[in-house]
Amino acid sequence: MRWRVPGLPSLPGPPPGPTRRSFWRSPIRSPWLTSVFGLMLLATIPVMFVTGLLSYAAYDPDLSPVNDTTPGKGLLGFYLFSWPTHPVWLYRLNQGVHVTLGLMLVPILLFKLWSVLPKLFEWPPLRSPAHLLERASLFLLVGGAGFEFVTGILNIQTWYKFPGSFYPLHFYGAWVFTAGFVVHVGLKLPTMITALRSRSMIRELRTGLARTRPEPLDAGYLVSPAPAAPTISRRGVLAFAGAGSLLVGLLSVGQSIGGPLRRTALLAPHGQDVSGGPGDFQVNKTAAEVGITASETGATWRLTVGNGGQAAQNPVVLSRADLLRMEQHTASLPIACVEGWSTDNQAWTGVRLRDLARMAGAILPASVLVQSLQNGGAFGQTVLSAGQIMDPDSLLALRVNGADLTPDHGYPARVIVPAIPGVHNTKWVASLTFQA
Amino acid sequence: MRRLLRWYGANPLHLLTLLGSFALAGYAALQWLPVGLFGIAVWFVAAVIGHDLLLMPLYTLADRSAAAVFRRIPPKLPPVQWINYLRVPVVLSGLLLLIWFPLIFRLPTGFQAATTLSLDPYLWHWLAVTGALFLLSAAALALRLRTGRRGPPEGPASGPEMVGPPPDATPGPSDLHS
Repeated sequence: MRWRVPGLPSLPGPPPGPTRRSFWRSPIRSPWLTSVFGLMLLATIPVMFVTGLLSYAAYDPDLSPVNDTTPGKGLLGFYLFSWPTHPVWLYRLNQGVHVTLGLMLVPILLFKLWSVLPKLFEWPPLRSPAHLLERASLFLLVGGAGFEFVTGILNIQTWYKFPGSFYPLHFYGAWVFTAGFVVHVGLKLPTMITALRSRSMIRELRTGLARTRPEPLDAGYLVSPAPAAPTISRRGVLAFAGAGSLLVGLLSVGQSIGGPLRRTALLAPHGQDVSGGPGDFQVNKTAAEVGITASETGATWRLTVGNGGQAAQNPVVLSRADLLRMEQHTASLPIACVEGWSTDNQAWTGVRLRDLARMAGAILPASVLVQSLQNGGAFGQTVLSAGQIMDPDSLLALRVNGADLTPDHGYPARVIVPAIPGVHNTKWVASLTFQA
Repeated sequence: MRRLLRWYGANPLHLLTLLGSFALAGYAALQWLPVGLFGIAVWFVAAVIGHDLLLMPLYTLADRSAAAVFRRIPPKLPPVQWINYLRVPVVLSGLLLLIWFPLIFRLPTGFQAATTLSLDPYLWHWLAVTGALFLLSAAALALRLRTGRRGPPEGPASGPEMVGPPPDATPGPSDLHS
């Protein structure tokens, strides 16, 4: 079924260069090797997709436009569920997996791309309209994968060189990539299964370089018709990719595990310990960076607790001393960032959010708007859900690990809620407005 | 209808799946309109050609050059397949650089202000890891040569006093060429 324009001769043979199959000389490149890498990605990319969507849900975007980083989402940002508060390490685990696994997939993806390279130059470049569409969908697949990996990897290093805000880029990019991924899996799954069955994995793992032989030409397009002598076995290539993946993972996972293992994350943004004291744990926003001054947070600081519901009353205004006189609770909770790093549980002490709600006359609050002293900037305000307000561990924290909050951890008062993305634990709180 | 499908080149399900995929991707891309599609399209194209037309020719060239250079200069190469002892540390170190170059080259200017952490250690960490990889690889090669010397002779090419490239090393790094 050649695609021909009537009246024109069919395409001549491939010109010299990469369009000729004999240009590609690897003796081990074959559908089997590609399928092994493909299987690894097939098992892990869905984990990336699910943890990504869960992280999206963790921001509770439908609770309020304030929380919605992708307001133009249309049908793509469907509301999954109200994000739970337990287990408290839920978001830590989700983001640790999303970011660490993403980093570990970089070498697998690169080896997969290497393994299918001759297909980019296949001749004739277009055989039929079906072939044209398939190749166009590969643009979504490869471009989308590259886009997602690059935006994610640059974002965790706080190098914001991408064209726009991270959230809409990474979120819609995930959908574009997924569109290409699903079609690719659908079209190639039978090929993958056939190829995987064509060679025994166990036998391959026992075959060293000396006994490595090229595959027969009829094994598929990727097999070279003019193979060079092998310099690495198939198991060698798999071990090579695996070693790369393991190395990247081992040098970064410590930033998500924390404790003494943090120092093992030699190449990860939050692999360094913060220097001593009760506030010696990670931050990604400092008081100085967002322009919080000592005069704003000193003796004149007041917290305004309002009730925007139907039973609206005059807001309650509290000083830090007033808050310290209220019933204090201590909760052991982590900080977990969308960037994948997190801290061990810290002992936060302060007033329960539900006690503040009752004080404001909100008996069954549906939500609360938390506003920071921060002038503008990202995440200067947040809306928390009813479940988050009513959790006994959700606090307006005044102290951490037995000492007053440090300026960088949100002095004079900050929100700390279990299992929530770090940026929603608003620091330098100025007001709480409960909604019935 | 049948003629149309023959012209298309695949079954109707193929067409429907692909059209569905393009519809989803197009719908997602439309949400980028406020950001500007052009900049994003440039990133997609860069992502596609980044490996296939940039990285791949570069690592292939490096691989072949290494093989050519080391074959010609003394001291004579050991009679084992040595190229992988060079490839592995170079590629792993390059992989770490590819992922972490913004930190390593201290590019994120706001990093310290945001995190209180210093950007200074990353270059040294990367160099230390790179050094460790090369040392490990050299140790593995040394071990391989020792066991090769003690082990049963594999033919005239296995002796340590052997000079000149062994026959099996001549084709060079053909796997990664490609």
